[in-house]
Amino acid sequence: MTADGQLPAVPPAAAGRDTAAESDDGWQRVHPASPFVRGWFALAAIAFFFGRDIFERALQGQPVFEEGLGRRAPWLLGGGAAVLVVAVLGFVLTWYFTKYQVSGGYVRVTSGLLFRQHRQARLDRVQAIDIVQPLLARIFGLAELKFEVADAGESAVRLAYLRIDDARQLRATILARASGAAAVAVPGAGFSGAGQPARAAAEEPEFPVLAVPPSRLLGSLLLSEQSFFVVVGGAASVVLSAVTDNRAFYFYLVPAVLGLAAGYWNFFNRGYNFTAAVSPDGIRLRYGLLDTQAQTLPPGRIQAVKVAQSPLWRPFGWYRMQVNVAGYGQSGNAVEGNTRTILLPVGKLPDVLAMLSLVLPDPGTDQPAAVFAAGLNGRDSDGGFITTPRRAWLLAPFAWRRNGFAATDTALLIRSGRWWRELVVVPHQRTQSLALQQGPVARRFRVADLVLHTTAGPVAPRLAQAGLDEARQLFNDQSARARLARKRQTTEQWLQQVAPAAGPMTTSTPYQKEGQQHG
Amino acid sequence: MRTEAIDPPGISWQRVSPRYVTVRLAEWALGNLVAVLVLSAPLVFVILGWWSWPPVWLAVTVPAAMLVLALWRLVLIPRQVRAIGYAERDEDLLVRGGIFFQRTMAVPYGRMQYVDIAVGPVERALGLCTLKLHTASPGTHARIPGLPVAEGARLREELTARGEARLAGL
Repeated sequence: MTADGQLPAVPPAAAGRDTAAESDDGWQRVHPASPFVRGWFALAAIAFFFGRDIFERALQGQPVFEEGLGRRAPWLLGGGAAVLVVAVLGFVLTWYFTKYQVSGGYVRVTSGLLFRQHRQARLDRVQAIDIVQPLLARIFGLAELKFEVADAGESAVRLAYLRIDDARQLRATILARASGAAAVAVPGAGFSGAGQPARAAAEEPEFPVLAVPPSRLLGSLLLSEQSFFVVVGGAASVVLSAVTDNRAFYFYLVPAVLGLAAGYWNFFNRGYNFTAAVSPDGIRLRYGLLDTQAQTLPPGRIQAVKVAQSPLWRPFGWYRMQVNVAGYGQSGNAVEGNTRTILLPVGKLPDVLAMLSLVLPDPGTDQPAAVFAAGLNGRDSDGGFITTPRRAWLLAPFAWRRNGFAATDTALLIRSGRWWRELVVVPHQRTQSLALQQGPVARRFRVADLVLHTTAGPVAPRLAQAGLDEARQLFNDQSARARLARKRQTTEQWLQQVAPAAGPMTTSTPYQKEGQQHG
Repeated sequence: MRTEAIDPPGISWQRVSPRYVTVRLAEWALGNLVAVLVLSAPLVFVILGWWSWPPVWLAVTVPAAMLVLALWRLVLIPRQVRAIGYAERDEDLLVRGGIFFQRTMAVPYGRMQYVDIAVGPVERALGLCTLKLHTASPGTHARIPGLPVAEGARLREELTARGEARLAGL
């Protein structure tokens, strides 16, 4: 970018203020081109606003410089230049005042010119870490590093933009610190951050687990509930037009079609080329057609998983998986939050089992495949599930044989839905709190609901209409199980807690792809 | 109607202060009486002949129904207050409430992120406070209203100490 040429001229003007922070250990700046990549829209708008006149003239074949232009040119050029200079200066200043540092157990980011903002995030509380590449950043080989930290209480810490190799490097460093690998290697925290490339952690090797073929993604989109409404809505408006002889109904379709097309495109763009891989750092999800994203979910950071299947998907045996991860729920952008919580956009049973084995390395049962399959497709007491008692069938005439739960040693499985099938898995040590609820109708049938509270996200674990005695029993047992599981897990640095768990993990051979965990 | 409680048997519940009824009465008055008065306004206007619509029967029925509902709620308040309870167990705090819609919640000490005490104007006059518990989940909406101030402070200290001793990550 041309901007690179003018950048060195600016810092000396402002350098006097911040030399202390700069000479300090390991403070770094993001890539100089990043404000331009982020603010390209503003630049384009300025160019459009001031160049429109000339551009339109050129298009219409009129002389580019009309007679009046001589008078207006200085104003036009001057105005354009002034706005441009202000914008560029703003960009350069924001760039100059944005600095980050990885040292000790913290990542610190300072930004802002008038309103200084200083964010500090504890590395051992990193919940998930993403490398995002919007199209323009991808063209320039840049990437945004974004991570969720549980203790911050607000949305993600973002570093935009870094060179893609630096971003990967930094991700590896952060994950190494977060997992405790670096802390084990270098005792004492006198470690001065990513400023020293020699100390930075190497990227962990990863093993591919599954990929979603584009044809299946397309199929899943065509068979979504959205498509169902498209077909029904389209048919209804055609019928209405025919019956009432009024063409207006077609016009109602136009905005609907535009919105739907955007929705489909968004989903396709984001779900395209979805691959999942596992590394000692955690689960890696990669996806995207134009904007690519690589998510890393460290082990044990997934709070709850939902596997869902709509009736349209059943003939093909497709499922969708969504997760709750602390921090994902609060990300400001709803669409972005939605896609980030998708663990598997569409997959078959073996894919689902493979992903579950990654999320829950120790299923806590002898036949995980049978139990999970019963959770997905079974009913009544298949796989050890306890369902709604027969006396309460009136409350859920279709689903009562499916609504149920099963508890393994490590997780609670909640099954529901006859047509829209759902299986929710909550690891015991992730349960925040739980509640028994009962309304007046449920009391007549002696049933109660059990709600497990997890962090904000698309999964809301709720066991509907369990028998009162079973629910009460589960309420007590679940408190005890969660307590035991919490005792077993004492540290946030997961390498230390994965090591003792390695024993039971290898014994459950029927569960797929366990061996790769140790890679 | 005698109802079977949903909470696990064999727990000795601590009840909240009976003075909390007064707080609930104040809240009730503020909410329901205002609603009844607002809904009665059309009736007044119709009787005065300022409005021709709605018909008198409708203008009477709506505030009357609202009044009955409000009185029903009023009658329930003492029982609702008696239904609120909490119990400190070894590892978690149990909170219960409700008569028609019962809810019993278990919040493990290790999961509490922070504990709030809130005091409203009526509560302050009566020497009461409300304790709120927060975990990493927004679904944990646990509050114990109507605690005497001393008990609230004791509970907060107790919960914080226990929480620190057993604090777990997310």
